Amino acid sequence: MADFEIRDLRVTVEGREILKGISLDVNKGEVHAVMGPNGSGKSTLSHTLMGHPNYTVTSGEVIFKGKNLLALPTEQRAKLGVFLALQYPVVVPGISMSNFLRTAINAKRGYDGKDKSKAISPKEFLALLKNEMSVLRMDDSFLSRYVNEGFSGGEKKRAEILQMAVLKPEIAILDETDSGLDIDSIKFVSNAVNRMRGPELGVLIITHYTRILQFIKPDRVHVLVDGQFVLSGGPEVADRLEAKGYSEWVGKKEPAVIQEAR
Amino acid sequence: MSFTREAVEALSGLHGEPEWLRARRLESFALFERMALPDTKRDKDWRQVDLKGLNLDSFEAFQPPDGRPAMVPMPQMAGVLAQRGTAEGTAEIDPSLTARGVIFCPLGKAAREVPELVQSHLFSGVRPERDKLAALHGALFSGGTFLYVPDGLTIDRPLMSRFWSGGGGATTLPHTVVVAGKGSSFHYVEEFIGAPDDSPSLASGSAELFLNDGANLGYVALHRWSPQAWQFANQRILLLRDAHLRMVNVGLGGRLARIRMEAMLEGPGSSAELRGLFFGTEQQAFDFRTLQDHLAPNTTSDLLYKGALRDTAKSAYVGVVRVEKNARGTSANQANRNLLLSEKARATSEPILEIENNDIVRCSHGATVGPVDPEHMFYLESRGIPHSVAQRMLVEGFLAEITDRIPVAHIREVVEHELATRIG
Repeated sequence: MADFEIRDLRVTVEGREILKGISLDVNKGEVHAVMGPNGSGKSTLSHTLMGHPNYTVTSGEVIFKGKNLLALPTEQRAKLGVFLALQYPVVVPGISMSNFLRTAINAKRGYDGKDKSKAISPKEFLALLKNEMSVLRMDDSFLSRYVNEGFSGGEKKRAEILQMAVLKPEIAILDETDSGLDIDSIKFVSNAVNRMRGPELGVLIITHYTRILQFIKPDRVHVLVDGQFVLSGGPEVADRLEAKGYSEWVGKKEPAVIQEAR
Repeated sequence: MSFTREAVEALSGLHGEPEWLRARRLESFALFERMALPDTKRDKDWRQVDLKGLNLDSFEAFQPPDGRPAMVPMPQMAGVLAQRGTAEGTAEIDPSLTARGVIFCPLGKAAREVPELVQSHLFSGVRPERDKLAALHGALFSGGTFLYVPDGLTIDRPLMSRFWSGGGGATTLPHTVVVAGKGSSFHYVEEFIGAPDDSPSLASGSAELFLNDGANLGYVALHRWSPQAWQFANQRILLLRDAHLRMVNVGLGGRLARIRMEAMLEGPGSSAELRGLFFGTEQQAFDFRTLQDHLAPNTTSDLLYKGALRDTAKSAYVGVVRVEKNARGTSANQANRNLLLSEKARATSEPILEIENNDIVRCSHGATVGPVDPEHMFYLESRGIPHSVAQRMLVEGFLAEITDRIPVAHIREVVEHELATRIG
């Protein structure tokens, strides 16, 4: 049994089936890339795993730590150790980054506003953030700004990875974290993710392009087309996509080739 | 004693008022008697206001004095005035300010001691003939504050008045007159406090603010009357040349809380930042009417009213931006944003633009009514923040845009605390 198992997942959005029965095993210590063209269901997969209300699961399970993730509310999925870095992080006016991060850290520690001993101390909080922010080349002003307000595209993505770094998930889903990033930002983000790699973290990188995979080397690559995996294999699958794109699948009524690349 | 001529005379006597003020009260009372309650179907200023259940005969005109309010020392303030019920208040002010000509005292005392200053301002902005309830206020206003700051004086610490209403059945109608001398600069805060009651009361704090040339005034009105109180407040601000006002209205109390705010930008170059914040629970209803009246060239007004409603609370906002013939170069902005925290909460918003001069810089308005953004909620929950905590953060965050503009830290904390208890 894998640490994180997606079994025959089918999902509809506004009555239309987007994910048509996909299965995937992710173990901690592994990095998986899910690649696919626009409209293939990549974002549906990431949002469904985190429990976004717009996505309706019609069948399937996601087993993590002996529980069916899909039966849990979003906050409990996060508490269990699942993290989603959003493709489009939302601006939340009126809530400062530091309040947001502190509340999230405290929630993970089980602090509910009563037992102060569970809350992170201001000193510890600052030390934790300073370290991770320097890796991501973020300056202190981030903390006093409202969540994502006025952030550039690159700053938003780095802020997502900062959240991942301080919340220390066991399964992290990075949804198009590379999109809209300049090469420097990709490097900072990749460095931060690579630092976190290890036996306690499984990563699912969802991406259209192969670029980020040059910096974060995947163990497995899966190609998602029209709501189904059409190809799974090692890093060489990314090379094949780099050379040929998605043309061998896109535009055909049925995915023609379903094979295990060797 | 209900609303009678005798009651008006008795109240005036209680405050030891001069003859001219007693006469003014009686004139207002005559208006009150002559006028009918506003027609909430036809009178456009009162449309949709739910006056069902308002029984003016059920209120006591005033309460006999029952001791002075305890003065709470507030070292962060340059002056404090406290008034309980309808008895005349007590004021304490930094003596160095008095020496420099600042007058900060109960309105009745000012009427006795500096009659010419009070006479020329009192009810020249908030007019008793406006409607029956304004006339009632003119007849039975229960003391209040008079604040005069001489030309050119800057006061670093704020001045504050606090008013406590009596219990059920009481009428508490404090009235504020602020005269800001040319080039003066200061903050004035007032807090209207009601104990929880089980029977209706009538409680409103009205205010007239006069900003002379170049005056800079920060004004905060914190309305937290009892949840059973009927509130019909009128605020009128006159801004002369290059005067600047920064104002925050906070509406928390009242069964029906109606606050009509009118900013008259009469002097060229005058500007007003107008903020409103409200939080309604249970069956509370709010009715906000605002006017940004641009009467002179190159005037600026920026209004933002934001509120959240729980349970079956309701709010109505009607805001007029008027650009008069002379007001070329006007810049006006008006926005009203409402957060609905339950299925049954309701909010309406009606912007009205009356533009008679098209040579303007900008004139914009916007209104929104809706629940917490589900994308915001998802984002916070995806970080493991429990739904109830996320809800509280999002509501506080929504209102922070206003609370952050409250210029006095102590009051900001009071408001944030009040909001936190209402968000639950």
